Amino acid sequence: MKTFEEKWTAWLDGQLTGRQLAEFEASLPDRAAAEAEKADAKKLGGLLKRELRAQTLANEEFFNHQLRERIACEHAMPIRERNASIHTWWTIRRLLLTGTASLAVFLIFAIFVTRDKNPAGRSQYLTQILNARVDPVISPNATISMFEAKEDRVTVLWTEGLQSLPADYAAK
Amino acid sequence: MARGKWLLIVFIALILSAVPTLRSAETVWSGLVIAENVAQPQPIPPELTRVERPLKQLFGYNQFQVIGQSRKTLQTGQEDWLATSKFFGLHVDARGETEAGYLLNLKLYKEKELLLETDAKLSKRSPLIIKGPQVGGGQLLLVLVVQ
Repeated sequence: MKTFEEKWTAWLDGQLTGRQLAEFEASLPDRAAAEAEKADAKKLGGLLKRELRAQTLANEEFFNHQLRERIACEHAMPIRERNASIHTWWTIRRLLLTGTASLAVFLIFAIFVTRDKNPAGRSQYLTQILNARVDPVISPNATISMFEAKEDRVTVLWTEGLQSLPADYAAK
Repeated sequence: MARGKWLLIVFIALILSAVPTLRSAETVWSGLVIAENVAQPQPIPPELTRVERPLKQLFGYNQFQVIGQSRKTLQTGQEDWLATSKFFGLHVDARGETEAGYLLNLKLYKEKELLLETDAKLSKRSPLIIKGPQVGGGQLLLVLVVQ
């Protein structure tokens, strides 16, 4: 059994038909006032439907909206980064300074350590004899050889058969 | 303050890194040496102390006397000089400098006669010894050392 309010709502919505409609309208104490109220309710319903419907955006408005959102994001990002940099130790500046300091330490080691580690035994650091010749007229039997005394880092050009000279030639 | 400290470190590092490229002038000592065996040998001259051991081991003499010498400070690596004794002359012609040493042309003269000629790359860390002619009971040696 429906209450009066339910029947009233159904009547306003136009959902009562036939015998139910006739009985309800007969039960109304002031039919004219009820009709006026029904008309107002319909009017209000129509107005609400029209105004509260989701607004569809035109193309131009849609793109404007997208742009505004993107700009808002871009503006918001540096703030986030700035906030993050406050909390982290490895700022760009510190990274640069650390890199420079590391380079300086490397150079100091490279200079002092590698300089002292100069390989004494390597032949490129020994004196090299590129060529040698004697006058074949003065010393026809002369021979030349060369060798390196690596232990003492000395290079020797060894000649044999050069013209022998008297002791007087040892004079200063 | 902290920035100043870092800048100082960087500055020192840069200066140190430049040091190897700044070539200091080096001196080449060239000597005419008479090696002999004597009963009472004289002490080895200070210029030869660096090569005393190989001199004694390789040539078997107990006394080494400098009869002529020259000490040349090289600025460009293109200099030439002469070390002379009464009868011998050693002409040294520097023909350039490399990282390892100096390129030298050496000529040993007996008075005006050219006895020996050689081209050598003299290392700054490695002396050069040349065995010359027999002189009396001894031996003429040529020694070149970068000091």
